[in-house]
Amino acid sequence: MSDKEKKTTQEPLIAYTTPGARIKSAFKSWEAFLFLLIVAEFVIFGTANSRFLMTRVIFGSLNDVMAVCIISLFVTFVLITGGIDIQAASILGLVSIIIGVGWQDFGLNIWVAALIGLICAIACGALSGFFIAYCGVQAMVITLGGSFLYAGIALLVSNLSQSAAYQGISGFPEYFTFLGKYKVGGVVPIQLVIFLLLAVIAYFILHKSKYGRKVFLVGTNKDAAEYCGINSRRVIMSTYMFSGMAAGIAGIITTAYVGSSKCDLGSTSTMSIITAVVLGGTLSTGGKGSVIGTALAALVVGILRFGLPLCFKVNSQYLDVPIGLLLIIVVVGRAVLASPFMQNLLAKSKKKA
Amino acid sequence: MAEKKDAHLLEIKGVYKSFGMNAVLKGIDMTLDHGEILALIGGNGAGKSTLMKIIMGLYSEDEGDIFIDGKKVNLNKPSAALAAGIYMVPQEPLIFQNMTVEENILIGFKEKASVLHETLLAKLEETGFELDLTRKASTLSIAEQELVEILRGLMREARILILDEPTSALTFGEVESLFRCIRTLQEKGIGMFYITHRLDEVFEIATSVAIMRDGAVRVSGAIREFTREILVKGLLPPDADDSGVGEKRERKAVDYTDKKPLLKLENFTGYGFKDINLEVYPGEILGVSGVVGAGRTEFATTIFGMDKVLGGKVYLQDKDITGLSTPEVMAAGLNYVPEDRHVNGLFKMRDAAANTTVGILPRKEMGTFLLSVKKELEIALSYVKHFRTKVTGLNQEVGTLSGGNQQKIVLAHALATKPLVVILDEPTRGIDAAARGDVYKIIEQLKEEGVGIMLISSDMEEIIELADRTVSVHQGRINATFDQSDINQDNLMAAAFGVVKEKEVV
Amino acid sequence: MEKIKNILKVREMTSFLCLIALFLIVGIVNPTFLQLDNIMNCLNGAVIYTLLAAGIAFVILVGEIDCSIGASLCMCAAICCSMIRDGSNFAVAIIVSIIVGALIGLLNGWGVAILKIPSLIFTVGVMGTVRGLVYVYTDCKWVENLPPYYTQIAQFKLGGLTGIYVFALVLAMIAFVITTRVRQGKYFIAVGDNANGANLVGIPSTMVKVIAYVLCGIFAAIAGIVYGTRVGFIQPSTGNGYEMTAIAACVLGGLSLTGGVGSILGSAIGAIIISSISRLLVFIGLSSDYNDAITGVVLIAIVVFDAVSQKKKVTKTRRERLLARTAALEGGKAE
Repeated sequence: MSDKEKKTTQEPLIAYTTPGARIKSAFKSWEAFLFLLIVAEFVIFGTANSRFLMTRVIFGSLNDVMAVCIISLFVTFVLITGGIDIQAASILGLVSIIIGVGWQDFGLNIWVAALIGLICAIACGALSGFFIAYCGVQAMVITLGGSFLYAGIALLVSNLSQSAAYQGISGFPEYFTFLGKYKVGGVVPIQLVIFLLLAVIAYFILHKSKYGRKVFLVGTNKDAAEYCGINSRRVIMSTYMFSGMAAGIAGIITTAYVGSSKCDLGSTSTMSIITAVVLGGTLSTGGKGSVIGTALAALVVGILRFGLPLCFKVNSQYLDVPIGLLLIIVVVGRAVLASPFMQNLLAKSKKKA
Repeated sequence: MAEKKDAHLLEIKGVYKSFGMNAVLKGIDMTLDHGEILALIGGNGAGKSTLMKIIMGLYSEDEGDIFIDGKKVNLNKPSAALAAGIYMVPQEPLIFQNMTVEENILIGFKEKASVLHETLLAKLEETGFELDLTRKASTLSIAEQELVEILRGLMREARILILDEPTSALTFGEVESLFRCIRTLQEKGIGMFYITHRLDEVFEIATSVAIMRDGAVRVSGAIREFTREILVKGLLPPDADDSGVGEKRERKAVDYTDKKPLLKLENFTGYGFKDINLEVYPGEILGVSGVVGAGRTEFATTIFGMDKVLGGKVYLQDKDITGLSTPEVMAAGLNYVPEDRHVNGLFKMRDAAANTTVGILPRKEMGTFLLSVKKELEIALSYVKHFRTKVTGLNQEVGTLSGGNQQKIVLAHALATKPLVVILDEPTRGIDAAARGDVYKIIEQLKEEGVGIMLISSDMEEIIELADRTVSVHQGRINATFDQSDINQDNLMAAAFGVVKEKEVV
Repeated sequence: MEKIKNILKVREMTSFLCLIALFLIVGIVNPTFLQLDNIMNCLNGAVIYTLLAAGIAFVILVGEIDCSIGASLCMCAAICCSMIRDGSNFAVAIIVSIIVGALIGLLNGWGVAILKIPSLIFTVGVMGTVRGLVYVYTDCKWVENLPPYYTQIAQFKLGGLTGIYVFALVLAMIAFVITTRVRQGKYFIAVGDNANGANLVGIPSTMVKVIAYVLCGIFAAIAGIVYGTRVGFIQPSTGNGYEMTAIAACVLGGLSLTGGVGSILGSAIGAIIISSISRLLVFIGLSSDYNDAITGVVLIAIVVFDAVSQKKKVTKTRRERLLARTAALEGGKAE
């Protein structure tokens, strides 16, 4: 104990790792701002409509956005390496239909079907990741192609079933649908628990593991990473496998929650995913980002999505406006702050202070 | 201009320029006449390119005047220089790959396309260049790209052309055809600056020569007054012969008896270099001298697993490491500190701690799955202290550090891998004197620890100060080897420009 | 012979040959396909994507991307159709909707070119906002009951082709000629090819990018107006995902998303390919459900092939340069 104290006093260089300093810097961070935003949402929506504050309502509504939250956790990895992933939504639908067709038409155990779906999702991520990392194609185009391809495959898989595609496949056993419907302690939906669990795992992988360090290094300077003996291509490819995996998990959970398997589940969530990641403080040019930020931002967006209709009678079809605007305001705000003019101004005000 | 027949095409009088505290040009006087090809030679950092950029209006001079046809001109921006008839052909021609040759030449002009086309045809006829105007630029060879650049200049009625190392990437045949074109232009009365590192070319193409050293023109005159020896002498400081040795530090001579080389290259060949043979012994600093672009960085990065090996072998101790990947080479015990730290060395958005440990990240000591923060801080702190790196904390982003401290960070992440052999590529480029001293101390210390060091440097003084032996690389080959007693500016400069006295030929 | 070789080297020509080959293969499998009517139908069906792809081609040529065109199309279509339905003058309705399209483009251009925000992120934000505004504007209802004179425009035919397709094709051709033959038009390609270089030869590259976005917005607006006449009603979800298909059409037509490569002629050919795939599938006896999967495979195959060959070329040039250094000495010695 005394040894430790000695160190902190003698070596100011290392001081930032002390708990006090960490808390201090955490208060100034973007994550703190997002947290305040969530608090503000609760206060505003709560005062507007007290129904909003009922746990049943809150948790029930959060269920609707969990798929987006889970996927965006791992799409953060992709953006940190400087890439982009717009295929995750298609993979979600593919996994969902694989589960349904596998279970209903091939007579597989539902868990085996889910596992196959998950493996397919990772394989989809790996395929796109391979083209991006090893062939040097822009992530945007490949994942655009991927979004067509995987949605197309999903449609073809759904044709293997006797059920019509638009109806979907339903009637899953309860031990599967519990993944979407069970409530821990009768209150907290299991989806939320899974999300939090995945957030913790993603946090450790990205911020605490050696692999996560490599992701950041590759995103900051790919060439330098190569010169330091990091296989940057493998790292880049693996991030797409992670986001594919997340889409797979989201696919399983959504299927369980909705209670039916459809090939176009989640097909409209691409914008929400990107909004959550970018709003979470991840730099779309790579090198910066945090899982906590993404998780908080996903919640900010999610709460906005059900709070506005519930408390202000905003038509839920209009919700793209505030979310789109939020994304624009964040990126414009950052661009303005980063401009030389504002930087000068900030430096001056600091000097004065 | 007829009444001013005696006026020079371009005259530069007393031009001074400094960047911050660093005086780059210290009073340049120079003239260029119609049809003159003025070869401008000098070591790296002599001020050639700064002078050319002033003429091009990219920089403005602190002091001094520039006259064209005897009239004072103010070249404060590129468009003014273009209007005055000056055009610079950059080392890497600026080409729009997906346009035709004609579009490439004519883009940016305001006149009517048909008029421009006529003018262009006329220019082609005049110069005798053989260039198909309808070809896609992406199919052009580099020599042809340079012709496109020259034509761009001529279309702007340029009378003064600046050619910046135009032959550096050309094959022998292409050089010949470029020279033919240059001679045609010369007959048209166009004055040209010809910057080069190849003394052969000076005698082949130039009509006059100016040698720059340390921000000033040291020798100049018509080419017939010069020989190779005079040129080499002019490149050196006047007192080089006697004081060059004095700059060396006192140190023990390396004892080579019963020592086996740590690193050994045998006929090592790749893209940009050929038949490299050398050995690095433990506790030795092997200097690798030459001019920028001689192929030194290429052979170092190829050893490091960055490019394909075309032939020959590399041995580290007794292990054959030829053609291994970068992580494998690093694991075997060789590390490389890249020439351009901004592009290949630094992670600017990451903190000092993360930058220091990047090389040892795969090792067990850094944790198995989770990263050991304690170990990382320990290692980073030891290097920060040891190298006297000025940081506000280990969490400072290295992008905000000064150049010298950034270089120390890069050195730290290479040395943290505890290599047997380290290749330092221009380790002190662009850093201040104090940091340079620190870097030298670090290098000396490594030497004492028995690390084999290969020091690639274009800074002759650095080689003289540090190296135990030196090889000189010229156009991708080793053209001379010097023992410690032979390392002096005279020998190094001569070899860097391809002039080698008989006895030193390997 | 030389000339034929040169023509084959042009990227849009490759796309054109692909198109012909595709038609011929389907024709061999099912000869009824090769009737003139069918081919005309393929062309007529490509009208919306021809317009969208021609517009987004400007943006892709300068090296950016625009994800908002599907939403812009819907917005402009909704405005134009609702004004016409409510008895507004035809010309006024068209002008207003084109202005709206141009304004959306201007917003994109401001964010991407002036604020330097990555184009994908910014235009996705604009897409969301505009799409939401469509719902607000239409009050989530369809815009229908359009006056017959408006919907009949789409029925007008020139030979086998509809008037609107000819109109779209003419617009695309004008854009093609402007970008390849007119002095300032070439700036688009120059900026995408080498933005720094473009600045050095005096091209205002920021301005060029803004104009590219505005043109893209205008084309989306025109596509919206045409959509209205063709379909006769506007759903608030109209045009969802069209931006992705339009980008795919451009890539199929030989444009590279890195900018500076390809032409608007190519994008028009790509539009025909992409909108014909489902029709072709029917003729070779496959369900149109294969549409997306095939589009995805073709898209990925093309860009991967393109990127790999480009990468090879870059390495090759670099290595040739390096080899030249050592070779120069040998040449000198040989003398």
